[in-house]
This record gives sequence, structure tokens and C-alpha cells, in this order.
Amino acid sequence: MSDIILSTKDLTKKYQNKVVVDSLNLEIKKGEIFGLLGPNGAGKSTTMNMICSIVKPTAGSIELLGKNPWKRKKEVIHKIGYIPQDLAIHGNLKAWENVELFTSLYGIKGTALKKTIDESLEYVGLLDKKNEFAKNFSGGMKRRLNIACAIGHQPDLLIFDEPTVGIDPQSRNFILEKIKESNEKGATVIYTSHYMEEVEAICTRIAIMDNGKIIACGTSEELKKLVTNGSDNITLEEVFLTLTGKNLRDYTGQA
Amino acid sequence: MIRYMIKNNLKLMLRNKWVIGAIALSPILVIAILSSAFQGLMKSYEGVDEFHAGYRVETDMMQDSMEQIKEAGKEAGIIFEEYPEGDVKTLMGNNNLAGFVEMGEETYTVYVSADYAVEGMTLTYFMNQVMEEGCNQALHQMLPTMQQEEIELPIEQLDYMPAINSTDYYGIVYIVYFCWCGIASAIGVLASEKKNGIDRKYQVSAISNVKLYLGKWIPIVFVNMIEMGIAIAVSVVLLDIHWGNPWMSTVLMGLTIMGSVAFGLMLYYISRNLVVTIIVLFISVFVMGFFGGCFETYMFSTVSDAIKNASPIYHVNRALVEYSCMGQSTYTNSSVLYMLIIIGICSAITIIVDGIRKRGRV
Repeated sequence: MSDIILSTKDLTKKYQNKVVVDSLNLEIKKGEIFGLLGPNGAGKSTTMNMICSIVKPTAGSIELLGKNPWKRKKEVIHKIGYIPQDLAIHGNLKAWENVELFTSLYGIKGTALKKTIDESLEYVGLLDKKNEFAKNFSGGMKRRLNIACAIGHQPDLLIFDEPTVGIDPQSRNFILEKIKESNEKGATVIYTSHYMEEVEAICTRIAIMDNGKIIACGTSEELKKLVTNGSDNITLEEVFLTLTGKNLRDYTGQA
Repeated sequence: MIRYMIKNNLKLMLRNKWVIGAIALSPILVIAILSSAFQGLMKSYEGVDEFHAGYRVETDMMQDSMEQIKEAGKEAGIIFEEYPEGDVKTLMGNNNLAGFVEMGEETYTVYVSADYAVEGMTLTYFMNQVMEEGCNQALHQMLPTMQQEEIELPIEQLDYMPAINSTDYYGIVYIVYFCWCGIASAIGVLASEKKNGIDRKYQVSAISNVKLYLGKWIPIVFVNMIEMGIAIAVSVVLLDIHWGNPWMSTVLMGLTIMGSVAFGLMLYYISRNLVVTIIVLFISVFVMGFFGGCFETYMFSTVSDAIKNASPIYHVNRALVEYSCMGQSTYTNSSVLYMLIIIGICSAITIIVDGIRKRGRV
């Protein structure tokens, strides 16, 4: 059996005449933590949304565990855990009720569901807050709850779309530790972020995306070699700015 | 999995107590305001308990029936007084009569005073009902006796249709009218889903479009039933509104709530915009209500029957109002059918539109 969990071939997304994702070819292996870096409007979220069957590709194909998620959604969708950039939780529901709602969408019920709720909340350090309303949580707690809502069905592929935006260093560190822990337990992770040090710290491979295309892909060291011929003094951020340029990116999102 | 979605959506709505309270009490407030604004008219309606009408009978055969008509009139608040002789206009003026009925051999004439417009309409309506019912019963009796060639015309028992009290009428139709705006109680759920991108999360799940729809439709219907239950209970206790035939009224109100929620959800799924949904919903309901007799009693409406019959609200209003004054209605079947069609078509459109949007989402 192939060790490729996700592959895309010439994956393209156009909005009217604007190409947001341009003939993207990706291969992600089982057990990887794959980082997707890019400036605003590079096409990262659109790519994630196409993989998760939220946005339909204009052209190209996606294979998730050897199957096209757009044609065989029921067979593969429960293998994905999607942690969106938005805080996809209801403020007027308690922490455990949010986890119950989203975990039950995957067919888990009864005693198993109750056990999963507690495990998920414990995993993100919110078990003692299970009876509190989500609207009263801090930004970091909401981010953690967002994760708890996506992992209960034990997916093979976890997709994190900028999960550490706007939270304190402690919460960020906690989330990164949990991502590594999930990976060690067997989950493959796709991680998008603007924070270079985060990506460098946890990702086994990194792709830099700009204007809808992958402009570089490899390990952190391989990317550094691309621009410095092996000097150790350069940071991933400098690599990123060298490859994508220093011009400001004013972007209005569509996906 | 659907039960957890129903349960949590229900919690989301029930925790929004201000919305529930506002929707439940809005019809009561409107009925109370209307009662106050049209107090004079309402007093006139209430006056039907005690007004006098004259009558004159030209044949002995009708004299017997007249005793029964007088009895029925007394129950409807019309005191009949016989005036065998004299000019009708003079008699009405001298005796302060609201109306006068001349019963001929084959025809009858109702005179009404310009000073008693409402009583006049009540008298006319009463006589129409009495004569229609009388003719029906006479015809019913004639058919079997015709075989024996013994035709008898006298009416043995008159069963008249009582006129609806205006407070009951407006009370019932305004609760029905507000019932159609029930989707507003789901604002908490729909706004939260949209604001937090939860609909996208539902897409990355194993739940089907039908279950996703039912996961919203069922709790919204349930909450609306609570709201309308409160509105009806308050209308009975505070405004003394009489709902007839409790079982059929409950069934019909239940179906109306189901239909209205299906209709509201369909508008939301098509527009994906709460403001647009509310505006289109209110315009649609206003038009249906306007032609459906929510703003004018259907008995006196000048709207053509074809337009009235096209309004689902008209059928529901008419059935519920007739339950209130007669305990039964010939509009039961049409209103039930209308609601079932609305539930079916709107639900199907919603599920199809959602499916199309997901398949071709941009």
C-alpha cells in the first residue's frame, strides 16, 4: 500500500479571471507534519478548502488515501480532522456541548461519545472547563476547543489552518506540543501558518507558496540551502522573504 | 447523529430567551394594540348581544319557523319583534330598530338602518345563514318524501352559524400571522453558524444534506411550538380569545408552524443572508396575510375568491376561525393539504439548493 496520504495533480482554482491556486502538485506522506507557508492571498486556505471538499477545484485532481474526496466523500471524509482558521464553535454552547455536536457528526454516539468528549477536552487541557460556555473563554481556550471539536473521531489526517492566530505564547506552545503528540500517535498533519519559527519547529517538510504556486519545497535545511549555499546563519523567515519578496501583500479573501 | 444536532440547536435557541419572549408575546401585543385602536368597532361588535330587529311574516307557513328563528336570534344577540302592519321605515325610526325582516312566500327582505351599520351586517349575515341552513334542511327532507309524493316545506329544526366575535377573529388571525415569522427564533443558530464558519465545518463531516436540514428544521419547529403555545395560552387568559375544536386547532397550528419554518429555511438557504431572508419573509407573509384576511375580516373582504384561495393563510385563518365559532370547518382539508405541500416543496428545495451549493461551491 502506498505511503502517500494526499496528492494533488495540477490542482487549480479560479475565481472569475483570477487564478488563486495554479496547477498545484503536492505529495504528502503518511506520518509527516507538512507545513504550508505563504504570504496573505498565496492560496493556502483555498488549497486546504479544496482538500476538505469545501471549495470545488476548477481543474486538476486530489487523491486522499487513494480516493477522490469530491467523488467518494463518504469514504474519506471521516479520515480528515479540519481545524479551520475561523473559531468554528458556538459561543452559547458549553465546551462539552460543542465537542458533542461536532464529534457526533461522524457517527459517534452514546457511551463512546461521552468518553470521546472527555478525552478530547482533556487532550486540549479543557476538561475542568467542560461546563463553561465557550463565549466566556479566552482566545487561546477557544482555539484549543476548536481543536477538540475536530479530533474526537480520530482522523488520519489533521489539517490545521493557522491555528495559533491571536493567542498567547503559552497557548501557542501548548497547541504545537499537541500537534507533535498527535503526529507521534500516527496522525499526518498539514499545517499552515505565518509564524516561521512554529513551522520550523514542528514540520518535517515545508512548502512555500506564492501566487497560487509552490515555489519551494523541502526540509527546513533544504530550503535554507536554496538561498545561501548551506550557510547556517539564515533563518526560515529570511528564506521566505528572499523567495516571496518584501513587497506588502494587500489581499481581500474569497475562499 | 441527528439527535445531538437537534439537541444542541435546541439549546442554542432556548438560551436566547429574549428572542423567544419577543416572538411569543408580539402577537399578544399587536392584538392588544389593535383592540385599543379599534375599541369603538369592537364595542359595536360586542353590541350584537343586545339589538332589536323588527319582522313581518306574510304566510302562515313561515310563522311556525319564525318562532325558531327568534330563538336562534336570541342566542346571537338579536331580539326580534313582530310588526304586522305599518311602513317599515317609520317603524324602524319610531322603535329604534337596527333592522327589519320581511318574510315573503318565496323571498325575504332585510332592511338595515344607516345608524346601525355593524348590527345591520350582523342581521344580514344571520338571516343568510338561517335561510341557507333552512333551505338545506327542507331540501334534505323533500328528497325522501318526494318518493311518496308528499312534499312538506316547513323547517323543523334550525341550526344557524353563529357570527364570529371580532376579538376572537383578530386574536386567531394575528397569532397565525406571527406564526409565519417563526424562522426569526432561529437567528441565534443561523447567525452563529455563519459568523463562525460552522457551515463549512459541517461540509467536512459525514452528515447528509437531509440530516443537516432536519437537524435545524426539527428544533426550530419545536421552539416555535413553544412560542405559539405561550401566545395562545396568553391570548386565552388575558384576552379571552376562544379557540374552538382544540384537537383540530392544535393539529392545524402545528402544521402551520412546520410549513412556516420550512418556508423560512428555504428563503435562508437560497439567499444565505439573514437580513434578506427576514425582508423577503415579511413581504411574502404580508402579501399572504393581506389577501388571507389578516387585516380585514374575510366575511366583508372585497378581495376576489380566486386570490383569497391562493393564500395559504386564508385557508388556515378560515378553518381556525370556523372552529372557534362552529367547532368545525369545511376548510380543514384544504388548509391541511396546503401546509403539507408547503412543507414538502420547501424542504425539497432547501435540500436541493444546499446540495447544489456544496457541489459547486466557489
